[in-house]
Amino acid sequence: MFRRSVVKLAAAAAVIALGVGSATAQELPKLEPKDSYKVGFAQTESNNPWRIAQTKSMQDEAQKRGWQLVYTDAAGSAAKQVADVNSMIAQGVDAIFLAPREEKPLIPAVMAAKRAGIPVILLDRSVDPSLAEAGRDYVTFIGSDFIEEGRRAGEWLAQTTGGKAKIIELQGTTGSSPANDRAKGFADAIQAHPEMEVVASQSGDFARDKGRQVAETLLQAHPDATAIYAHNDEMAVGAIAAVEAAGKVPGKDITIVSIDGTRDALQAIIDGKLGATVECSPFFGPVAYDTLVKYANGETIPPKIINEDRFFDASNAQELIAEAY
Amino acid sequence: MADASIARPAAPARTSDGLGQLLARHGALVGLVLLVLFNLAFTPNFVSWQTLNVNLTQVAAIVIVAVGMTLVIATGGIDLSVGSLMAISGALAPLILLGQILPMPHPLLAVALAFVLPVLVAGAFGWFNGFLITRYRIQPIVATLVLFIAGRGIAQVVTNGNLQVFRNPEFQVIGLGRLFGIPVQVILMLILVAGAAWMLRRTLFGRQILAVGGNEQAARLAGIPVASVKRRVYLISGLCAGLAGLVVIAINSASDANLIGLGMELDAIAAVAVGGTLLAGGRASITGTLLGALIIQLVRYTLLANGVPDSAALVAKAGLIVLAVWLQQGRKST
Repeated sequence: MFRRSVVKLAAAAAVIALGVGSATAQELPKLEPKDSYKVGFAQTESNNPWRIAQTKSMQDEAQKRGWQLVYTDAAGSAAKQVADVNSMIAQGVDAIFLAPREEKPLIPAVMAAKRAGIPVILLDRSVDPSLAEAGRDYVTFIGSDFIEEGRRAGEWLAQTTGGKAKIIELQGTTGSSPANDRAKGFADAIQAHPEMEVVASQSGDFARDKGRQVAETLLQAHPDATAIYAHNDEMAVGAIAAVEAAGKVPGKDITIVSIDGTRDALQAIIDGKLGATVECSPFFGPVAYDTLVKYANGETIPPKIINEDRFFDASNAQELIAEAY
Repeated sequence: MADASIARPAAPARTSDGLGQLLARHGALVGLVLLVLFNLAFTPNFVSWQTLNVNLTQVAAIVIVAVGMTLVIATGGIDLSVGSLMAISGALAPLILLGQILPMPHPLLAVALAFVLPVLVAGAFGWFNGFLITRYRIQPIVATLVLFIAGRGIAQVVTNGNLQVFRNPEFQVIGLGRLFGIPVQVILMLILVAGAAWMLRRTLFGRQILAVGGNEQAARLAGIPVASVKRRVYLISGLCAGLAGLVVIAINSASDANLIGLGMELDAIAAVAVGGTLLAGGRASITGTLLGALIIQLVRYTLLANGVPDSAALVAKAGLIVLAVWLQQGRKST
């Protein structure tokens, strides 16, 4: 019943927004340069360390600049996120930062904001490119390149193992874009090395416990494996436990590489158990607000802004662990 | 593949009484044996102590929860909240260990409290389930749905949804330790199974549970304190879930309130159903539940080890439940 009323509310808000903003139909809404803005941040969910770090970065940076931030958490529901965006429109924010939960369902939210004359910047995930376009319907997309992350992980592994490895791949949640892209980037990277082979590839749902259980099983079925590639750090930490339970030494018998750059992963690198991890930065605050200021000043914004992600290995983990989340 | 081969010999159950009886009574055991045979033939490196070790440590948490679930189902109820109660206990223990709730004068005291308090809290929530069911006569599936939803929320609130990481060898004995080479959680699991099986068969409380599940009205007329029996089984289910929550976080040396025990209620109910306990109540088999959990675990292992994606494992699990219920139907008619 609650959900139904939310949808109704969303529909009502969309209708209102339609009436208000029908004047600016085609082009991207403009933003006046001001000293301080009232901005909205529509978070998709806040149930994992990465999301929490992202929210904190947005809040801290807003506070630092003296901007007003309207924060909503869609708790994993696309319908609620659409309603959240509409309520931001009703509250008259200057701009909206949106981390779209899914590619298609969030299109109405982007369009409603556009009609209301409010510029939208997408964070970390994008919307369906055939239905909404950067520079026309929203300002830009800021985020990491998941394919590139997978490629860097693959290249590091190729270099470290001398192009010779039997790899167990722990994939992310089946069908999610980071899982698909990280698998693709990694496969591209190891293609050049005929003696590198993925012997087993299964989903560990981006979770530590699931990653551990899957790794335990796969290590048992493939005792000749020499490396593990995990799509995120949580699964990599689980895999370390699995390797130890199997009586092998992580970092020596089995080389492990992953993606994210969490504090736990950096600690594991310092302990010599994890080989390396590619950063997927959750610290969006500074770049997001800088982009908005540039946009207000009339600068041209590229349709995609890719975060500069660092690479953590034994050479810098010790030094950078204090910054990790 | 394995369940198809169980199904085939089961087909003549209605014509030949002897085989049907045998399968209905020992269906779970037959299924497990067939699965093991399949693995011996097809799964690489199946014959090793490490395989046994991996499967037993992975199944322990499911069995611990499923023992409590068996008792609940034996009274004709169901407990959907076990996964969320695991999350609550798993979220509380690190808070106590790290001294975030109250400062600990002695590390060993912290460990002791981290073992006891979360389990008691989970037990209290379990008792609350029973209270809702008996006092307000809410159907168990609805009453436990309350904590299924709210419990995970509570766990997220106390931890702010943050992943809690800890390292405490004394506490982690429950997930990583070994006694005579046997993992501690496997020993715990066996003790619980033996204890519950004995209780169900030999004690007054055990007979009362079955009587309540068999015919509640008759049990009440016979003077059995129905409400008290029910509250106690939900309390036990809560305690079991709390213990399982500790096992899971101890293995991972981390606690993520969003994920601990996610979907556990379904695994546990599936184990109970496959094990031959009547979902309507009145008849229960703890050893059957153990076998049911082992089957579910081994199916998952088999599919993973042979490179079949996880999504297919879910379908196979569902197929097993259908098969188990079908076997139960067969048993009722004979």
